Amino acid sequence: MDSIPPFGGFGLGLRRQHYADFLAGEVPVDFVEVISENYMVDGGKPLRVLEEVRAKHPVALHGVSMSIGSAGGIDPAYLDRLKRLAERIEPLWVSDHLCWTRTSAHNSHDLLPLPLTRDALDVACANVDQAQNHLGRAMLIENPSSYLTFPEDELTEWEFIGEMARRTGCYLLLDINNIYVSACNHGFSADDYLAGLPLDSVRQIHLAGHTPATKERPVVIDTHDRDVCDDVWALYARAMSMLSVPVATMIERDDNIPPLADLLHELDEARAIAAGASDKGAGESIAA
Amino acid sequence: MNPSADLGGLQQAFMAQVLDEDAPLPHGWGKRHAVGMSVYRGNYRSALVEAMRSTYERTEKWVGEAAFRRAAAHHLIAHPPSSWTIDDAGAGFDRTCAELFANDPEVAELAWLEWTMLEAFTAPDVAPLDLPGFSAATSGFGDEDWADMRTTFLPGSRARVLAHDLRAIWKVLGEEDLVRPQFEIEGDTGCLVWREGERATFIMVEADEARAFEAMRQGSSYGEVCMTIANEGDQSDSAQSDAAMRAGAMLGHWLNEGLIAAID
Repeated sequence: MDSIPPFGGFGLGLRRQHYADFLAGEVPVDFVEVISENYMVDGGKPLRVLEEVRAKHPVALHGVSMSIGSAGGIDPAYLDRLKRLAERIEPLWVSDHLCWTRTSAHNSHDLLPLPLTRDALDVACANVDQAQNHLGRAMLIENPSSYLTFPEDELTEWEFIGEMARRTGCYLLLDINNIYVSACNHGFSADDYLAGLPLDSVRQIHLAGHTPATKERPVVIDTHDRDVCDDVWALYARAMSMLSVPVATMIERDDNIPPLADLLHELDEARAIAAGASDKGAGESIAA
Repeated sequence: MNPSADLGGLQQAFMAQVLDEDAPLPHGWGKRHAVGMSVYRGNYRSALVEAMRSTYERTEKWVGEAAFRRAAAHHLIAHPPSSWTIDDAGAGFDRTCAELFANDPEVAELAWLEWTMLEAFTAPDVAPLDLPGFSAATSGFGDEDWADMRTTFLPGSRARVLAHDLRAIWKVLGEEDLVRPQFEIEGDTGCLVWREGERATFIMVEADEARAFEAMRQGSSYGEVCMTIANEGDQSDSAQSDAAMRAGAMLGHWLNEGLIAAID
């Protein structure tokens, strides 16, 4: 399996509300990310738009329905469609989530949590192997946000992910907001999480907004419907200072989509933080 | 012990919790789990209902948001999704509407139209046969060749016999103020749906044309369609001739509208 070289760009998710902006002019991004399933279709406007955008920008394919954690394995027909799309678009990489979405009978279309057990790790690794072999390329797997943990858990999430990356050779998509959300919901340290991951496997970072907990609903929810909050920016800065290879950073907005200019402004903030972390890292390296 | 068997059991139980708010929590789960599960249940329902609102925008406007949300929730409980694409959550919603809006049968027809247009929107890209192409394909045809001729229509194109004027309903649903038009009609009418370039579209046609289109789409020959039309009239020679004329007019209509992809 070919390795995925580091790519230190800054990008946005391509959303229908911004199609015209991306088709009409030069949007100052280094790449765009698209939801794979929206383009795993036979024809029509979505594919034409994606191909036009692809002519201007590198594209990352980000899936939500592969169901890496399904006990029943991954649907080969799904992988066939994804492979056709990847061959057509020639993406930077293909990613999906460490979660499960379906059983043999139903699909929840939600990113459901895996028990962090060694048995579940075996299943996830087998499925990542299946997907990578079918697609003929290494994948990026994203850490999830979650709202409950299982009594059966045997590993921390970072131990689970680190072992999965080691065994399958997959790369990581590090969602900083998801770490923050799950740390709030389950009471672990976000810094322990970062420190426990094989950070040299990270190729992309997601930044997003979330809905804070309330007294009535004591759970932080990963809604992607608002700006990135200060705590997540701070965690991003710490993550960037720990990374030894360039990684791509993306603002992930899925709901309450603002004008493109607002998202570009947030992306500029990410650029500034990354540059600061890079300068600081270089300074520390020199001092050492 | 088989790891996937254990995990499979856990996932079946978890999915049952997501789908059914009344399902009891698994043994050993406490209040913290109940709170987390309520988030997953909420995410499941809201994502799917929003997907259906996107697919059935005009149907929702016609029946009102509250009634649509109830109908969508009913549909999702009766038909939990199984496909990899969330768009498919709306499959078969016209049949659900036929049950739930039995006194307003135009609702089911409108839902069918929106679903069919969604399918046409992302159907495979195939260029329609133009008039010179059709002429070239049929230039050497004798009577038997015409009788045996079959057509391949653009992918995603469909026809259906209807009892309401969906064109009138569709037009007012595109306007800001919904003033209900006269949509009841006497007898049957028909509708052709396809994708014109990148835009899914439809036209109203006579019911016999919708039946003929569906018959040929499903493999009937041109001769069989002519026979069907003739059998709907009397058995006189003029009726036979009229049927041939009618079938020819339909074929010309489909060709002019760009619905025919190939002649077989």
